[in-house]
Amino acid sequence: MFNKKALTLSLLLSANTAAIAAPLAYDLKPEKIAENTWVLKGALEDFSRKNGGNIVNTGFVVTEEGVLVIDTGPSLKYGQEMKAAIAKITDKPIKYVLNTHHHPDHFLGNQAFSNTDILALPKTNQQLALHGDAFADNMYRLVGDWMRSTEVKLPTKDLEVDNLKLGSHQFSLMPFSGHTGSDLVVYDRKTGVLFASDMVFFQRALTTPHTPGLNIWFEEIEKLEAIDYKIIVPGHGPVSKDKSSLKQMKRYLLWLDETLIDAAQKGLSMTEVIRIPISDVFPDIKLTRHEFIRTVAHLYPLYEDKYF
Amino acid sequence: MKGRLAALLVSATVSFSASGAEPDPLESPLWDYMRTQFIGDDAYVFDDRVKVGLPEFAEDPTQVPIMVDASALSGNIKQIITWADLNPIQHIFTYYPHPEIVPRISLRIKVQQGTAVRAAVQTKDGVWHMGGSYLDAAGGGCTAPSAANSDPYWESHLGEMKSRFFAKEEGGRYKFKVIHPMDTGLVNAIPEFYIQQVAVRNQQGDSLARLELSQPVSENPVITFDVRDKNQKHSVWLRDNSGNEFERDL
Repeated sequence: MFNKKALTLSLLLSANTAAIAAPLAYDLKPEKIAENTWVLKGALEDFSRKNGGNIVNTGFVVTEEGVLVIDTGPSLKYGQEMKAAIAKITDKPIKYVLNTHHHPDHFLGNQAFSNTDILALPKTNQQLALHGDAFADNMYRLVGDWMRSTEVKLPTKDLEVDNLKLGSHQFSLMPFSGHTGSDLVVYDRKTGVLFASDMVFFQRALTTPHTPGLNIWFEEIEKLEAIDYKIIVPGHGPVSKDKSSLKQMKRYLLWLDETLIDAAQKGLSMTEVIRIPISDVFPDIKLTRHEFIRTVAHLYPLYEDKYF
Repeated sequence: MKGRLAALLVSATVSFSASGAEPDPLESPLWDYMRTQFIGDDAYVFDDRVKVGLPEFAEDPTQVPIMVDASALSGNIKQIITWADLNPIQHIFTYYPHPEIVPRISLRIKVQQGTAVRAAVQTKDGVWHMGGSYLDAAGGGCTAPSAANSDPYWESHLGEMKSRFFAKEEGGRYKFKVIHPMDTGLVNAIPEFYIQQVAVRNQQGDSLARLELSQPVSENPVITFDVRDKNQKHSVWLRDNSGNEFERDL
């Protein structure tokens, strides 16, 4: 009896604490990875009410002519915090914002940059116009109050150049397609930093809802390997100085492709495929099971079709 | 004497609650109601041998894979009824087995929200053996228009089937896919249009196992079933609710 009371009391207390908890904040801390270049690192997790959708790497480069922002995060709040974090580092104006692709964790902070030119590849802009609102709705469901007041703000222009000179920085803007059908990779020739966007996931399983094909993605990773970068910033996962992230991508893409082909050749049903053991080659990659289940939903029907 | 009577009463109460009101392991709010709808007041037990394979979450609520495996009760099955408690149309399929066909079926379904998915296997003694799994879902699968609705491809390919036989160590598996919109009737101004009957037939044209499908089965169904004898030839026959019949040698 007494214990029950104590339990009820502690439940009430904990409910109370939650009610008066500090306002939600991402507490973004830009990390300097090269001259004039900062990255905001997200958690190696899936969207949750705990992380507020901050599972993504965004970045910015401070040039003499202003700041180039690469992706704006999952919410208005993230965009606002990012903008404030930039203002603490430089008083230079934000010159351009880039959205690397149309997934929600990369563009829903756009609202915070309302007076700036926001650029994305033409196909990305079409995809955003088509799917942006549905993505935003889904983010409210997944992360809740972190999304408050977030609305889709589409990029203001199509990105139609493959080079951008800002101050002493010369950026190569490279269109790829492996992750979503329209993926922008930004290479800063001055610092050798490659912002690989979600073309590269490192130590975190890649996601496949809009990939045109694992083989296409694989071939494009080989093109990225040919770039003589000094530092690579993946869309998700740690920044690194070597090619290990690309090697991991290739191994993982190859394993996915071979596993799905093998399953289709054996006539497995989707429910059987999602239980296939993940190769022990990838002990360091987070969320492999979760993303594998998603990938089977996205891609297995196409593999099945090939083996009827 | 008094003590004995009390003991008897207690044991009666206990056995009643065990057979009549075993709590639902999936704790679904609609368990009692849906159970009555599908199996009435018949005796039932929750039975781990009845397996409902599902992903833990629905990545695409219009194409959620399920696999019902009652092979542990093989040879003793009258029928299998499957349903999703919280779907607007709960019934998914009813399966009537045959000795030559393993009671293990996979297909894909539409779900409207997170729900328990059930398989009730009635054995020859009349008792229902309940299996089930919980599926988490963002929802909307049953009230989303079929892709066919915006793409006329199906009109000229309705009922087209692809199939393949996959030999296993023992027996083998048929997998087939049929082009059909499988419209639920829950989308504005799109009438229900779905395959209702599936039968596996032998070379003599006798129906072996039969499936009665409902609207939640996904567009362009992909269905697998397993056979015991890999040397037998089979065909599959389908009929939709407009009376269209389709048949194909497997």
